Amino acid sequence: MKRRFLPLILTVLGVTNIFSYRIHASTSNNNSDEVTILMPAPFADSTEVLVNKFNKDHESKITIKVTRGPLETESVSDLAISSLLLGDSPFDIILIDVTWLPKFAAAGWLEPLNNRVESSQWKALAKGARLGNSYQGKIYRWPFVADMGLLYWRKDLMKQPPTTPAELIKISKELQNKGIVKYGYVWQGRQYEGLSCVFLELINGFGGDWMNNQGEVKLNSKSSQQAVSWLKKLITSGVSPKAVTNFTETEALQAFEIGDAAFMRNWPYAWAELNKNKSAVKGKVGVTTMIAKESKYSTSTLGSWGFSITKGSSKKDQAYKVISYLTNEDSQKYLFTKYGYTPTISNLYKSKNLLKVSPILPILEIALKNAKPRPQTPLYAQISGVLQKHISKIITNKENVKETMEAAQVSTERILSSAGEKR
Amino acid sequence: MIYILSFPAAFLLVIVFLLPLFRYSWLSIHASSVITGLEVIPNNGANWFRLFNDERFWTDYMQTLRFAVSSVSVELILAILIALLLNHRVRSKDLVRALTLLPWALPTTVMALGWRWIFNTPYGPIEQIFKFLKLEPINILSDPNLAWISTVIGDVWKTTPFIALIILAGLQTIPDDLYEAFRLEGGKPKQAFFRITLPLLKPYITIAVLFRLAQAFGVFDLIQVMTGGGPAGSTESVALYSYLNAMRYLDFGYSSTIMIASFILLMFACVVCWFIIYNSKRLFQKSKL
Amino acid sequence: MNNTRNYLCLILIWSLAPIFWQAYTSFCTPEALIYPLKNISNRWTLENYTLLLSSNPSFLRYLLNSTIVGISTTFLTLLLAIPAAYSISKIKPIIAGWVRLFLLSAALFPYVLLFLSLLEIARALNIGNNLFALSIPYSALNMPLALLLLSSSFKDLPIDLEEAARLEGLNLWQRLRWILIPLIAPATASTSILIFIFSWNEYPIALTWISKTELLTLPVAISRIAGSSVYSVPYGAYAAATVLGSIPLLLIVIIFQKQIVSGLTKGAVKG
Repeated sequence: MKRRFLPLILTVLGVTNIFSYRIHASTSNNNSDEVTILMPAPFADSTEVLVNKFNKDHESKITIKVTRGPLETESVSDLAISSLLLGDSPFDIILIDVTWLPKFAAAGWLEPLNNRVESSQWKALAKGARLGNSYQGKIYRWPFVADMGLLYWRKDLMKQPPTTPAELIKISKELQNKGIVKYGYVWQGRQYEGLSCVFLELINGFGGDWMNNQGEVKLNSKSSQQAVSWLKKLITSGVSPKAVTNFTETEALQAFEIGDAAFMRNWPYAWAELNKNKSAVKGKVGVTTMIAKESKYSTSTLGSWGFSITKGSSKKDQAYKVISYLTNEDSQKYLFTKYGYTPTISNLYKSKNLLKVSPILPILEIALKNAKPRPQTPLYAQISGVLQKHISKIITNKENVKETMEAAQVSTERILSSAGEKR
Repeated sequence: MIYILSFPAAFLLVIVFLLPLFRYSWLSIHASSVITGLEVIPNNGANWFRLFNDERFWTDYMQTLRFAVSSVSVELILAILIALLLNHRVRSKDLVRALTLLPWALPTTVMALGWRWIFNTPYGPIEQIFKFLKLEPINILSDPNLAWISTVIGDVWKTTPFIALIILAGLQTIPDDLYEAFRLEGGKPKQAFFRITLPLLKPYITIAVLFRLAQAFGVFDLIQVMTGGGPAGSTESVALYSYLNAMRYLDFGYSSTIMIASFILLMFACVVCWFIIYNSKRLFQKSKL
Repeated sequence: MNNTRNYLCLILIWSLAPIFWQAYTSFCTPEALIYPLKNISNRWTLENYTLLLSSNPSFLRYLLNSTIVGISTTFLTLLLAIPAAYSISKIKPIIAGWVRLFLLSAALFPYVLLFLSLLEIARALNIGNNLFALSIPYSALNMPLALLLLSSSFKDLPIDLEEAARLEGLNLWQRLRWILIPLIAPATASTSILIFIFSWNEYPIALTWISKTELLTLPVAISRIAGSSVYSVPYGAYAAATVLGSIPLLLIVIIFQKQIVSGLTKGAVKG
């Protein structure tokens, strides 16, 4: 019995060996001008038309192959990191989020683009879109789509949107007392990345900084405490519903869409959703920049995606051509018209065609000018986690603002020092 | 001479089991992260200092313990019941046994996805039942208190058959004469269970519980796929935390520190558990008297 | 007796209901999932399956990858474990106790904690993205169980048998090949099945060792299925994947359940 088994197993192994060897060879020996891009699923879908067009035009030369990543942003990052850590990454280009850039760059996985980017190209970018692409003075990423935090307001309920935190509360209270809306302001209060985005806008609007340009953590500052206290006040005073501490973008949008709230903090994509036929507030919505204290600057959290070339890629020149194509004016026009992707080229904000498509383009331009990236440290993911946890504690329980932000400060500093950050 | 035969296997075991422990101990006293360019640099025990003060680690540790203890105890009770049932003479016993074994054999990630759908809000069957009964939706996977229970359910579903099998094997070693004698002496069936069955099953229970406890303590697949550690970190286990530190935060020094620490804490938990089971007879008898 | 049957039914419902629910979901259109009670004309569909099988690479590819890893791991483990188990069965009792303790604690060890070091090894030796290399750590992880099972069945063989063979003039290799290995075939079989199931299902190490899409094993591939629509999670496709991924194991469990049961229980008892 054993005697017959052994050759059998050996044959099976031999066959599978040859088989998998073939597959292996076919992927590494593929067409020398095939450029592989890793994108999260939504982007892979929205660029499909552009990619197909490119592949047709350049039939003999470069072809783009899109690897459709998972749906969730974090899983895409995990996938990219695990392939880069292993070495021999199968991707030439990775579409990366603004918060990953310092980490990927510091790990030495990305190709600096300084020599490839022409200064005219760089100048053509909107100011805010230039942010978040560099690490330690080198450009590692070319922006594909910008995203900024915006304040949505109800045009039918007030003449002017508020510009300061105090005004926002005042108007909300008035409307709530009159029984016109259930809530004043809905935002993202769940313990997740969205809360960090909300906080960044506020702390800057109150004149502070999460992490300053010297890399110092400033979570225990006066303005930081004021910003968090204000968030807490929104809930205790009833301007925001208690449930806001479990809201993500989706829940905030739902509440605003059915007319429950006077104000909402959200990203540009919400505009199109609010003006669909099923929306109860269609045509009644205005967009403006984020509130800030008098004499302080209104700030929008910058969320943006951009293309980076991996260091291990053997097709860097071809890859750069692909990036240039996917981010050129025509592509951006198409993506803005079809999917509402905020353009990164400043010229496009003057385009009459685009203004016809969307009246909020001028506001987007201002918001992008005021945009600020989250702390640009490779350890961002951890320190953001710490911040979310502490703010969440403050707004859900009745924990002391000062002590809790002090604790957040200490934990953040500890993370930086144990990872080897020099002080 | 003969021992040479075991060298290749021993070599492999050393590489895969012992080498990592040394490597982790070494890394845990160094900074090796994206900040240091993935180089290994001494950092004077900053990792350990951070660990002792890391609220997230200790929360995760307590969550992991809670997960392990609750799922293993539920599994044990269910498994004993199932084993007692299967120990009866039933028709098509083999088929029944094979079918109850199925959850154990399926890949964890496969059914973790299944559970994600079953507990989905608002379309999953559980929420549909609530809707049908005209109750408020309960948002199972986004409620920190319900999410961890749903992970326990997923674990219980998958591993109860394993414990049941072991206990069944134990049951089959108990001779029927013992029960017969006990009944002749006037004992009731319920008493027989506590006086004969449980004490004789103890070795089997011990091994099953220890094994499962260690496995549940290292829970990773189920949670990573089912909840990703969320909502708000309420289902995060130590294994997931160390995975995130390495693969998402690129901090290998701290990730190693977590692994060493959880290994030590696990051994501690196992010793405690073994002690409890070992002394259970005495405790049990004392409470009876 | 009747009661027993009812309870058994209950157990079966508990273990099978989630699987049936997945099977049901996999044949449903998205509309049918959203309105389960409404009367919809297009309730049933095979689209979830065609989607999986027509995607690039096809889902069958992942099944094949897992099978390759399963077979090569089983083979490698047995190759190393059989001789080692034989030599362990000959050690003096005192040392054997220590060996057993070591093996037992290795078997108990939550191996997910090893992934970082294993990843470093894969990187250093440049053996990532290789299905055959993946069977090296898998084989090590299965080794404790394999050694415990096999060495105890070597020990159960009567000593006289081997003595007689030695007197016949058979050398060590011949004794193993012609007498001892055939005799422990049942234990080998149940060990193999357990190893195969483990390697088929393993997740964290495959997750870190394989990054090429076409080389992913089934558990990792399943966790990466992305939706066809931007705003909804593709539960239909997930369910179809669970069904396809479960069928091979369902067959294995039904066909080899005796071996599985004896392997698991012996593993526990001997340990």
